[in-house]
Amino acid sequence: MTDVLQLLSEYKQASRASGDADPRPYLARVSGSDRELLAGLIDAYLEQAPRREFDAERFQGSPAATIAEEVQRSLAGESGIWPALLPQLRRRSELKRSELVRQLAARLGAQAQEQKVGEYYHRMEQGLLPAAGVSDTVLEALGKIVGWTSTALRTAGTLPTPGPPRSDAGAVFARTHRGGAPEGTPGPGGAAPAAEEWDEVDRLFRGAPPSA
Amino acid sequence: MSGLADDALIDYLRAAREAERHDAMKAAVAVLVFGYHDTLMNRARLKLPEPDVADVVSETLASAIASAFDGSSVGEFRSWLHTILSRRIADYHDARTRTPKTAPLPGEHQGDDEVWGAEPSEPFEGDALHARGCLEQAYGELDRDSHRAVIDLYVLHAHSAAETAELVGDGMTEANVHQIASRFQRRFKQLLEEGSDTGEEP
Repeated sequence: MTDVLQLLSEYKQASRASGDADPRPYLARVSGSDRELLAGLIDAYLEQAPRREFDAERFQGSPAATIAEEVQRSLAGESGIWPALLPQLRRRSELKRSELVRQLAARLGAQAQEQKVGEYYHRMEQGLLPAAGVSDTVLEALGKIVGWTSTALRTAGTLPTPGPPRSDAGAVFARTHRGGAPEGTPGPGGAAPAAEEWDEVDRLFRGAPPSA
Repeated sequence: MSGLADDALIDYLRAAREAERHDAMKAAVAVLVFGYHDTLMNRARLKLPEPDVADVVSETLASAIASAFDGSSVGEFRSWLHTILSRRIADYHDARTRTPKTAPLPGEHQGDDEVWGAEPSEPFEGDALHARGCLEQAYGELDRDSHRAVIDLYVLHAHSAAETAELVGDGMTEANVHQIASRFQRRFKQLLEEGSDTGEEP
Protein backbone atom coordinates (compact mmCIF):
# COMPACT_ATOMS: atom_id res chain seq x y z
CA MET A 1 0.00 0.00 0.00
CA THR A 2 1.35 3.41 -0.92
CA ASP A 3 1.92 5.46 2.17
CA VAL A 4 -0.14 8.64 2.12
CA LEU A 5 2.30 10.63 4.23
CA GLN A 6 5.11 9.60 1.90
CA LEU A 7 3.11 10.84 -1.09
CA LEU A 8 2.36 14.06 0.75
CA SER A 9 6.05 14.49 1.41
CA GLU A 10 6.84 13.93 -2.28
CA TYR A 11 4.20 16.44 -3.25
CA LYS A 12 5.56 19.05 -0.84
CA GLN A 13 9.07 18.58 -2.24
CA ALA A 14 7.83 19.02 -5.80
CA SER A 15 5.77 22.03 -4.80
CA ARG A 16 8.73 23.70 -3.11
CA ALA A 17 11.01 22.96 -6.04
CA SER A 18 8.79 24.20 -8.85
CA GLY A 19 6.27 26.40 -7.09
CA ASP A 20 3.61 24.80 -9.24
CA ALA A 21 3.08 21.11 -8.64
CA ASP A 22 -0.16 19.65 -9.97
CA PRO A 23 -1.57 17.41 -7.19
CA ARG A 24 -3.54 15.13 -9.50
CA PRO A 25 -0.71 12.75 -10.49
CA TYR A 26 -0.10 12.15 -6.77
CA LEU A 27 -3.77 11.51 -6.13
CA ALA A 28 -3.83 9.06 -9.02
CA ARG A 29 -1.42 6.83 -7.11
CA VAL A 30 -3.98 6.08 -4.38
CA SER A 31 -7.67 5.28 -4.31
CA GLY A 32 -10.69 5.23 -2.02
CA SER A 33 -10.32 6.87 1.36
CA ASP A 34 -6.54 7.13 0.92
CA ARG A 35 -7.14 9.38 -2.05
CA GLU A 36 -9.50 11.56 -0.03
CA LEU A 37 -7.01 11.59 2.80
CA LEU A 38 -4.19 12.74 0.55
CA ALA A 39 -6.41 15.36 -1.09
CA GLY A 40 -7.36 16.77 2.30
CA LEU A 41 -3.74 16.91 3.42
CA ILE A 42 -2.54 18.57 0.21
CA ASP A 43 -5.41 21.04 0.45
CA ALA A 44 -4.46 21.99 4.00
CA TYR A 45 -0.78 22.22 3.04
CA LEU A 46 -1.49 24.53 0.10
CA GLU A 47 -3.62 26.76 2.26
CA GLN A 48 -0.60 27.37 4.47
CA ALA A 49 1.87 27.81 1.63
CA PRO A 50 3.65 31.17 1.64
CA ARG A 51 3.44 33.62 -1.22
CA ARG A 52 5.67 32.57 -4.07
CA GLU A 53 8.59 34.86 -4.82
CA PHE A 54 8.01 37.03 -7.85
CA ASP A 55 9.76 35.92 -11.02
CA ALA A 56 9.41 38.48 -13.79
CA GLU A 57 10.45 36.04 -16.49
CA ARG A 58 7.87 33.41 -15.55
CA PHE A 59 5.23 36.04 -14.95
CA GLN A 60 5.56 37.48 -18.45
CA GLY A 61 2.94 35.96 -20.73
CA SER A 62 1.57 33.67 -18.01
CA PRO A 63 -2.13 33.33 -17.09
CA ALA A 64 -1.25 35.24 -13.91
CA ALA A 65 -0.15 38.21 -16.03
CA THR A 66 -3.56 38.35 -17.73
CA ILE A 67 -5.33 38.19 -14.37
CA ALA A 68 -3.05 40.86 -12.92
CA GLU A 69 -3.84 43.18 -15.79
CA GLU A 70 -7.58 42.68 -15.30
CA VAL A 71 -7.31 43.20 -11.55
CA GLN A 72 -5.25 46.35 -12.04
CA ARG A 73 -7.86 47.67 -14.45
CA SER A 74 -10.57 46.85 -11.91
CA LEU A 75 -8.82 48.72 -9.13
CA ALA A 76 -8.14 51.70 -11.34
CA GLY A 77 -11.62 51.87 -12.77
CA GLU A 78 -15.18 52.61 -11.81
CA SER A 79 -16.80 49.28 -12.61
CA GLY A 80 -15.84 47.01 -9.72
CA ILE A 81 -14.35 43.76 -10.93
CA TRP A 82 -16.16 43.78 -14.26
CA PRO A 83 -12.82 44.17 -16.08
CA ALA A 84 -11.76 40.85 -14.56
CA LEU A 85 -15.13 39.15 -14.76
CA LEU A 86 -16.84 40.14 -18.00
CA PRO A 87 -14.15 38.99 -20.47
CA GLN A 88 -14.03 35.71 -18.62
CA LEU A 89 -17.81 35.19 -18.77
CA ARG A 90 -17.72 36.04 -22.44
CA ARG A 91 -14.98 33.47 -23.08
CA ARG A 92 -16.83 30.88 -21.04
CA SER A 93 -19.93 31.49 -23.14
CA GLU A 94 -17.77 31.09 -26.24
CA LEU A 95 -19.01 34.37 -27.63
CA LYS A 96 -17.00 36.91 -29.57
CA ARG A 97 -17.55 40.42 -28.32
CA SER A 98 -19.34 41.37 -31.54
CA GLU A 99 -21.79 38.51 -31.09
CA LEU A 100 -22.38 39.32 -27.43
CA VAL A 101 -23.03 42.94 -28.35
CA ARG A 102 -25.42 41.90 -31.10
CA GLN A 103 -27.41 39.79 -28.65
CA LEU A 104 -27.29 42.49 -25.98
CA ALA A 105 -28.57 45.15 -28.36
CA ALA A 106 -31.36 42.80 -29.48
CA ARG A 107 -32.41 42.05 -25.91
CA LEU A 108 -32.46 45.77 -25.14
CA GLY A 109 -34.52 46.48 -28.25
CA ALA A 110 -31.69 48.66 -29.52
CA GLN A 111 -30.66 46.80 -32.67
CA ALA A 112 -30.43 50.10 -34.53
CA GLN A 113 -27.86 51.33 -32.03
CA GLU A 114 -25.74 48.22 -31.83
CA GLN A 115 -22.52 50.20 -32.19
CA LYS A 116 -23.39 52.46 -29.30
CA VAL A 117 -24.33 49.46 -27.16
CA GLY A 118 -20.98 47.96 -28.10
CA GLU A 119 -19.11 51.05 -26.99
CA TYR A 120 -20.85 51.05 -23.64
CA TYR A 121 -20.18 47.34 -23.19
CA HIS A 122 -16.53 47.94 -24.04
CA ARG A 123 -16.37 50.57 -21.29
CA MET A 124 -17.83 48.07 -18.83
CA GLU A 125 -15.06 45.59 -19.66
CA GLN A 126 -12.45 48.33 -19.39
CA GLY A 127 -13.69 49.60 -16.03
CA LEU A 128 -14.49 52.98 -17.51
CA LEU A 129 -18.24 53.06 -16.96
CA PRO A 130 -19.56 53.83 -13.46
CA ALA A 131 -21.34 50.63 -12.44
CA ALA A 132 -24.02 52.46 -10.48
CA GLY A 133 -25.40 54.01 -13.65
CA VAL A 134 -25.85 50.70 -15.48
CA SER A 135 -29.49 49.70 -15.24
CA ASP A 136 -30.87 46.38 -14.05
CA THR A 137 -32.34 45.99 -17.54
CA VAL A 138 -28.84 45.87 -19.01
CA LEU A 139 -27.55 43.52 -16.34
CA GLU A 140 -30.50 41.19 -16.71
CA ALA A 141 -30.03 41.06 -20.48
CA LEU A 142 -26.28 40.53 -20.11
CA GLY A 143 -26.79 37.91 -17.41
CA LYS A 144 -29.07 35.90 -19.69
CA ILE A 145 -26.42 35.94 -22.40
CA VAL A 146 -23.47 34.90 -20.24
CA GLY A 147 -25.34 32.70 -17.76
CA TRP A 148 -25.07 34.84 -14.64
CA THR A 149 -27.65 36.52 -12.48
CA SER A 150 -28.09 40.27 -12.74
CA THR A 151 -27.69 40.60 -8.98
CA ALA A 152 -24.35 38.80 -9.04
CA LEU A 153 -23.24 41.09 -11.86
CA ARG A 154 -24.37 44.09 -9.84
CA THR A 155 -22.42 42.89 -6.82
CA ALA A 156 -19.30 42.39 -8.93
CA GLY A 157 -19.70 45.93 -10.22
CA THR A 158 -19.60 47.38 -6.73
CA LEU A 159 -16.22 45.99 -5.76
CA PRO A 160 -14.16 47.80 -4.73
CA THR A 161 -15.49 51.15 -3.60
CA PRO A 162 -15.00 53.31 -6.68
CA GLY A 163 -11.90 55.47 -6.58
CA PRO A 164 -11.48 58.99 -7.83
CA PRO A 165 -12.52 59.53 -11.46
CA ARG A 166 -9.81 58.66 -13.94
CA SER A 167 -8.45 61.70 -15.67
CA ASP A 168 -7.17 59.47 -18.47
CA ALA A 169 -10.45 57.61 -18.99
CA GLY A 170 -11.21 59.19 -22.33
CA ALA A 171 -7.66 58.71 -23.54
CA VAL A 172 -7.59 55.04 -22.54
CA PHE A 173 -10.85 54.47 -24.25
CA ALA A 174 -9.60 56.24 -27.36
CA ARG A 175 -6.44 54.14 -27.41
CA THR A 176 -8.16 50.82 -26.89
CA HIS A 177 -11.32 51.30 -28.87
CA ARG A 178 -10.91 50.63 -32.54
CA GLY A 179 -14.06 52.02 -34.06
CA GLY A 180 -14.62 55.26 -32.19
CA ALA A 181 -18.02 56.81 -31.73
CA PRO A 182 -20.29 56.98 -34.74
CA GLU A 183 -20.37 60.37 -36.37
CA GLY A 184 -22.98 62.68 -34.97
CA THR A 185 -23.65 60.42 -32.01
CA PRO A 186 -22.99 61.52 -28.46
CA GLY A 187 -20.02 59.31 -27.64
CA PRO A 188 -20.27 56.96 -24.71
CA GLY A 189 -16.46 56.79 -24.78
CA GLY A 190 -15.94 60.25 -23.39
CA ALA A 191 -17.96 62.78 -21.47
CA ALA A 192 -21.65 62.14 -20.97
CA PRO A 193 -23.83 63.59 -23.73
CA ALA A 194 -25.76 66.75 -23.01
CA ALA A 195 -29.15 66.18 -21.40
CA GLU A 196 -31.07 67.04 -24.57
CA GLU A 197 -29.07 64.46 -26.53
CA TRP A 198 -29.62 61.71 -23.96
CA ASP A 199 -31.40 58.78 -25.54
CA GLU A 200 -32.73 55.47 -24.24
CA VAL A 201 -29.39 53.67 -24.64
CA ASP A 202 -27.63 56.39 -22.63
CA ARG A 203 -30.26 56.02 -19.94
CA LEU A 204 -29.83 52.25 -19.85
CA PHE A 205 -26.07 52.48 -19.39
CA ARG A 206 -25.61 55.76 -17.53
CA GLY A 207 -28.79 56.23 -15.51
CA ALA A 208 -30.65 59.50 -15.36
CA PRO A 209 -29.46 62.31 -17.65
CA PRO A 210 -27.55 65.17 -16.04
CA SER A 211 -29.77 68.06 -15.05
CA ALA A 212 -29.53 70.86 -17.56
CA MET B 1 8.26 45.43 -4.25
CA SER B 2 8.45 41.63 -3.95
CA GLY B 3 10.08 42.04 -0.53
CA LEU B 4 6.96 43.66 0.91
CA ALA B 5 4.51 41.64 3.00
CA ASP B 6 0.96 41.23 1.71
CA ASP B 7 -0.51 43.90 3.96
CA ALA B 8 2.18 46.36 2.93
CA LEU B 9 1.41 45.65 -0.72
CA ILE B 10 -2.29 46.28 -0.13
CA ASP B 11 -1.45 49.54 1.66
CA TYR B 12 0.79 50.51 -1.23
CA LEU B 13 -2.01 49.79 -3.70
CA ARG B 14 -4.44 51.88 -1.72
CA ALA B 15 -2.02 54.80 -1.57
CA ALA B 16 -1.24 54.56 -5.28
CA ARG B 17 -4.91 54.60 -6.09
CA GLU B 18 -5.63 57.58 -3.88
CA ALA B 19 -2.83 59.42 -5.64
CA GLU B 20 -4.31 58.36 -8.99
CA ARG B 21 -1.04 56.62 -9.86
CA HIS B 22 -2.71 53.75 -11.63
CA ASP B 23 0.44 52.57 -13.37
CA ALA B 24 2.17 52.35 -10.01
CA MET B 25 -0.35 49.70 -8.95
CA LYS B 26 0.77 47.26 -11.63
CA ALA B 27 3.85 45.93 -9.89
CA ALA B 28 2.10 45.36 -6.56
CA VAL B 29 -0.83 43.59 -8.23
CA ALA B 30 1.61 41.45 -10.21
CA VAL B 31 3.46 40.35 -7.07
CA LEU B 32 0.22 39.39 -5.32
CA VAL B 33 -1.32 37.59 -8.28
CA PHE B 34 1.84 35.73 -9.27
CA GLY B 35 2.55 34.87 -5.65
CA TYR B 36 -0.72 33.03 -5.09
CA HIS B 37 -1.98 32.05 -8.53
CA ASP B 38 -0.44 28.58 -8.77
CA THR B 39 -1.26 27.65 -5.19
CA LEU B 40 -4.90 28.57 -5.76
CA MET B 41 -4.95 26.67 -9.06
CA ASN B 42 -3.67 23.53 -7.37
CA ARG B 43 -6.12 23.82 -4.51
CA ALA B 44 -8.95 24.30 -6.99
CA ARG B 45 -7.78 21.25 -8.97
CA LEU B 46 -8.54 19.15 -5.91
CA LYS B 47 -12.18 20.19 -5.99
CA LEU B 48 -13.19 21.31 -9.46
CA PRO B 49 -13.13 19.92 -12.99
CA GLU B 50 -10.14 21.26 -14.90
CA PRO B 51 -12.05 23.40 -17.44
CA ASP B 52 -13.48 25.51 -14.62
CA VAL B 53 -10.37 25.83 -12.45
CA ALA B 54 -8.82 28.88 -14.12
CA ASP B 55 -12.06 30.88 -14.14
CA VAL B 56 -12.77 30.26 -10.48
CA VAL B 57 -9.20 31.20 -9.53
CA SER B 58 -9.33 34.35 -11.62
CA GLU B 59 -12.58 35.44 -9.96
CA THR B 60 -11.13 34.61 -6.57
CA LEU B 61 -8.04 36.75 -7.05
CA ALA B 62 -9.99 39.70 -8.42
CA SER B 63 -12.60 39.58 -5.64
CA ALA B 64 -10.11 39.04 -2.85
CA ILE B 65 -7.75 41.82 -3.86
CA ALA B 66 -10.60 44.21 -4.55
CA SER B 67 -12.38 43.54 -1.29
CA ALA B 68 -9.16 43.64 0.75
CA PHE B 69 -8.38 46.86 -0.99
CA ASP B 70 -11.60 48.72 -0.27
CA GLY B 71 -10.71 49.31 3.34
CA SER B 72 -12.66 46.46 4.94
CA SER B 73 -10.87 44.52 7.60
CA VAL B 74 -10.19 41.10 6.14
CA GLY B 75 -7.42 39.91 8.46
CA GLU B 76 -4.43 38.18 6.96
CA PHE B 77 -4.60 38.47 3.19
CA ARG B 78 -3.55 34.89 2.50
CA SER B 79 -6.29 33.49 4.74
CA TRP B 80 -8.79 35.83 3.16
CA LEU B 81 -7.79 34.68 -0.30
CA HIS B 82 -8.25 31.02 0.61
CA THR B 83 -11.56 31.81 2.28
CA ILE B 84 -12.82 33.41 -0.92
CA LEU B 85 -11.62 30.42 -2.94
CA SER B 86 -13.46 28.05 -0.62
CA ARG B 87 -16.63 30.11 -1.00
CA ARG B 88 -16.32 30.13 -4.77
CA ILE B 89 -15.85 26.37 -4.82
CA ALA B 90 -18.83 25.87 -2.51
CA ASP B 91 -20.93 28.16 -4.71
CA TYR B 92 -19.83 26.22 -7.75
CA HIS B 93 -20.97 22.91 -6.31
CA ASP B 94 -24.08 24.47 -4.85
CA ALA B 95 -25.00 25.80 -8.28
CA ARG B 96 -24.90 22.29 -9.71
CA THR B 97 -27.87 21.34 -7.61
CA ARG B 98 -29.99 24.30 -8.60
CA THR B 99 -31.29 26.18 -11.55
CA PRO B 100 -29.82 29.67 -12.13
CA LYS B 101 -29.90 31.78 -9.01
CA THR B 102 -32.29 34.58 -8.37
CA ALA B 103 -31.42 35.77 -4.89
CA PRO B 104 -27.73 36.32 -4.19
CA LEU B 105 -26.56 37.36 -0.77
CA PRO B 106 -24.44 40.42 0.02
CA GLY B 107 -20.83 40.67 -1.19
CA GLU B 108 -17.78 39.54 0.73
CA HIS B 109 -16.66 43.04 1.50
CA GLN B 110 -19.66 43.28 3.77
CA GLY B 111 -18.49 40.25 5.66
CA ASP B 112 -21.18 37.84 4.59
CA ASP B 113 -21.31 34.90 2.26
CA GLU B 114 -22.29 35.55 -1.29
CA VAL B 115 -23.98 33.54 -3.92
CA TRP B 116 -21.96 33.97 -7.06
CA GLY B 117 -23.64 33.80 -10.38
CA ALA B 118 -22.42 30.84 -12.36
CA GLU B 119 -24.85 28.29 -13.63
CA PRO B 120 -24.47 24.55 -13.10
CA SER B 121 -21.67 22.80 -14.93
CA GLU B 122 -20.69 19.19 -15.55
CA PRO B 123 -20.88 16.70 -12.67
CA PHE B 124 -17.66 16.34 -10.72
CA GLU B 125 -16.86 14.91 -7.33
CA GLY B 126 -14.08 16.95 -5.74
CA ASP B 127 -11.42 14.99 -3.94
CA ALA B 128 -10.99 17.24 -0.95
CA LEU B 129 -14.54 18.33 -0.23
CA HIS B 130 -15.41 15.87 2.51
CA ALA B 131 -11.83 15.38 3.62
CA ARG B 132 -11.37 18.89 4.93
CA GLY B 133 -14.02 18.56 7.62
CA CYS B 134 -12.55 15.24 8.75
CA LEU B 135 -9.07 16.73 8.91
CA GLU B 136 -10.29 19.56 11.08
CA GLN B 137 -12.05 17.13 13.39
CA ALA B 138 -8.99 14.90 13.72
CA TYR B 139 -6.86 17.94 14.43
CA GLY B 140 -9.34 19.23 16.99
CA GLU B 141 -9.19 15.92 18.84
CA LEU B 142 -5.45 16.27 19.50
CA ASP B 143 -5.21 17.10 23.17
CA ARG B 144 -1.62 18.21 23.44
CA ASP B 145 -0.11 21.41 22.11
CA SER B 146 3.04 19.52 21.19
CA HIS B 147 1.06 17.07 19.06
CA ARG B 148 -0.73 19.87 17.27
CA ALA B 149 2.63 21.51 16.68
CA VAL B 150 3.90 18.27 15.11
CA ILE B 151 0.93 18.17 12.72
CA ASP B 152 1.36 21.85 11.88
CA LEU B 153 5.07 21.62 11.21
CA TYR B 154 5.51 18.14 9.80
CA VAL B 155 2.22 17.42 8.05
CA LEU B 156 0.80 20.79 7.06
CA HIS B 157 4.05 22.66 6.52
CA ALA B 158 7.24 21.55 4.86
CA HIS B 159 9.50 20.65 7.80
CA SER B 160 11.25 17.30 8.02
CA ALA B 161 10.69 15.03 11.01
CA ALA B 162 14.09 15.97 12.41
CA GLU B 163 13.43 19.71 12.06
CA THR B 164 10.00 19.29 13.60
CA ALA B 165 11.39 17.43 16.62
CA GLU B 166 13.95 20.16 17.15
CA LEU B 167 11.43 22.97 16.76
CA VAL B 168 8.90 21.38 19.13
CA GLY B 169 11.62 20.49 21.68
CA ASP B 170 10.62 19.26 25.11
CA GLY B 171 12.04 15.78 24.49
CA MET B 172 10.30 15.29 21.13
CA THR B 173 12.20 12.83 18.92
CA GLU B 174 12.07 12.09 15.24
CA ALA B 175 10.46 8.74 16.02
CA ASN B 176 7.78 10.51 18.08
CA VAL B 177 7.04 12.79 15.15
CA HIS B 178 6.46 9.82 12.86
CA GLN B 179 4.24 8.12 15.45
CA ILE B 180 2.12 11.21 16.03
CA ALA B 181 1.75 11.80 12.29
CA SER B 182 0.78 8.16 11.68
CA ARG B 183 -1.82 8.20 14.46
CA PHE B 184 -3.23 11.42 13.05
CA GLN B 185 -3.38 9.89 9.57
CA ARG B 186 -5.19 6.79 10.92
CA ARG B 187 -7.75 8.86 12.79
CA PHE B 188 -8.30 11.12 9.78
CA LYS B 189 -8.84 8.07 7.58
CA GLN B 190 -11.20 6.51 10.11
CA LEU B 191 -13.33 9.66 10.09
CA LEU B 192 -13.37 9.67 6.30
CA GLU B 193 -14.53 6.06 6.19
CA GLU B 194 -17.18 6.62 8.85
CA GLY B 195 -18.51 9.56 6.82
CA SER B 196 -18.60 7.41 3.70
CA ASP B 197 -20.38 4.56 5.49
CA THR B 198 -23.12 6.75 6.85
CA GLY B 199 -23.49 8.77 3.69
CA GLU B 200 -22.95 11.84 5.83
CA GLU B 201 -22.72 15.14 4.01
CA PRO B 202 -19.45 17.03 4.32
